[in-house]
Amino acid sequence: MEVRDTDILKSDQSAASVDQAYKLRVKDLNFYYGAFQALHGISINAEKNRVTAFIGPSGCGKSTFLRTLNRMHEETPGARVDGEVLLDGESIFDRDISELRRSVGMVFQRSTPFPKSIFENIAYGLRIRGVDRSSISDLVEQSLKRANLWEEVKHKLNKSASSLSGGQQQRLCIARALAVNPELLLLDEPCSALDPIGTSKIEDLLLEIKETCTILIVTHNMQQAARVSDYTGFFLSGKLIEFNDTKSMFETPSSKLTEDYITGRFG
Amino acid sequence: MPMASKRKTVSYTWRKWRGALGFGLTGVATLISLGALFSILGYLIHQGIGAINWNFIVREPAAVGEAGGGIAPSLLGTLILVAISMVVGMPLGIGVGIYLSEMAGDTRFANLARVAINTFIGVPSIIMGIFVYFILVKPTNTFSAVAGGLALGIIMIPIIARTTEDVLRLVPKSIREAGLAIGAPKWRVTFDLVLPAARAGVITGGILAVARVAGETAPLILTALGNEYYPTSLFKPIDEITLRILKYARGPYDVWHQQAYGAALILVFGVAIGSLLLRLSTRDRDALSR
Repeated sequence: MEVRDTDILKSDQSAASVDQAYKLRVKDLNFYYGAFQALHGISINAEKNRVTAFIGPSGCGKSTFLRTLNRMHEETPGARVDGEVLLDGESIFDRDISELRRSVGMVFQRSTPFPKSIFENIAYGLRIRGVDRSSISDLVEQSLKRANLWEEVKHKLNKSASSLSGGQQQRLCIARALAVNPELLLLDEPCSALDPIGTSKIEDLLLEIKETCTILIVTHNMQQAARVSDYTGFFLSGKLIEFNDTKSMFETPSSKLTEDYITGRFG
Repeated sequence: MPMASKRKTVSYTWRKWRGALGFGLTGVATLISLGALFSILGYLIHQGIGAINWNFIVREPAAVGEAGGGIAPSLLGTLILVAISMVVGMPLGIGVGIYLSEMAGDTRFANLARVAINTFIGVPSIIMGIFVYFILVKPTNTFSAVAGGLALGIIMIPIIARTTEDVLRLVPKSIREAGLAIGAPKWRVTFDLVLPAARAGVITGGILAVARVAGETAPLILTALGNEYYPTSLFKPIDEITLRILKYARGPYDVWHQQAYGAALILVFGVAIGSLLLRLSTRDRDALSR
């Protein structure tokens, strides 16, 4: 199992210190859509305050993998997982699902603003969380500033979110996810519908927010993975072929398949 | 070669003709239908406009066979019956629609419910009238506004349930997932995000249902009965505009006939104006939120 080879865990480390080093630990995760197995024995450890990228051709299971981490797969009838997913050492499957999703934010491929005003898009998550009414507008401002969107929207907070450009909408979705202070942020091809300027704004943003949370990003774009991530995993046909720090992965891939993919021979 | 190209030309001409024929037939169908509808409207206006004046709208019916008098109790009764039917039909219908679209999925029970709803949309309304007659009118020994409203409300339920389910299903899955992803529980996603996104469609479904029951007569004969005077209690017989039309149209007096047309005209325009206003108001709000 190549996956085990790249597992950098030392066996003599105690479980507690392992949990401190890794925000997220996935062990032997299998995923099924009905009879079809979409993920085969995925094991991965994601370090705290680092960006971990997942690359691979369409349909390789990288988005499916991401969606199990906040249990979004449970919304798909017939989807089923086995294996372990530990967030701070605690199984995500034992946690209350709403509470889990407040600690694990998600940003989707296509921006999904709520049919509400810009302000309400951010405030909604805060209200759900029961945040005190008086502090909501401060928190909205803070979140928009963290997502580098405040200057562009501060004069039109009551306008509908769908009046924003695609890139702005995506940053709004990131602000919305950040507002509830997630420990882990999942991004599923967040830039695939954006132009280069929108993309570079989001990439800069990721490097800023990794100070406060752990980021997992799925991307089609290998340059993007190389630019923003500390670690990269390569998926192919539902298997994690290689997982390593980004620099080694792109300079000296250990698997022939990885090398073929990143040099553009397929995918 | 010339043969082949000739055959091609022929088939192209034929296809062009066939296309034109298709369009022509649908056009003719539209013309015939619209013609029928407008001639009904024209006939109604021609026959009924003479009956309509201020007194017709604000007065009680005159003594039998006499000229003058109005249909005010019927108009008021119609509003009351429609209001009761909305109280019964809207929450239940919307509730069923939400359940089927958001909660039930494709379970056997849900599919059975869908079949039942589609069936009930097509069931003649007198059946609901008979049902309410036996469960409410007979036991209490009185026709009443409540019984009439209940019968109309039951007619509304499947219509509203069906349209609500349909428009909720049109709301993109991405909105639901985005809501769930920030930790909103499913019921809040449904009520805070999905339902508002489908609001215009749900309201349109409601309008259709109201327009449908506002024109019902059969179930009301068995439940609301009709009344010559203003309603004084929800537990007594109440008049309704189609009951008034039925009574006057069947009566022997020319005055009544003209008033029946007048009442029919008011009903048609009432439903038209009502749905137009509601549609405009929902469209405005949609434009604002955009």
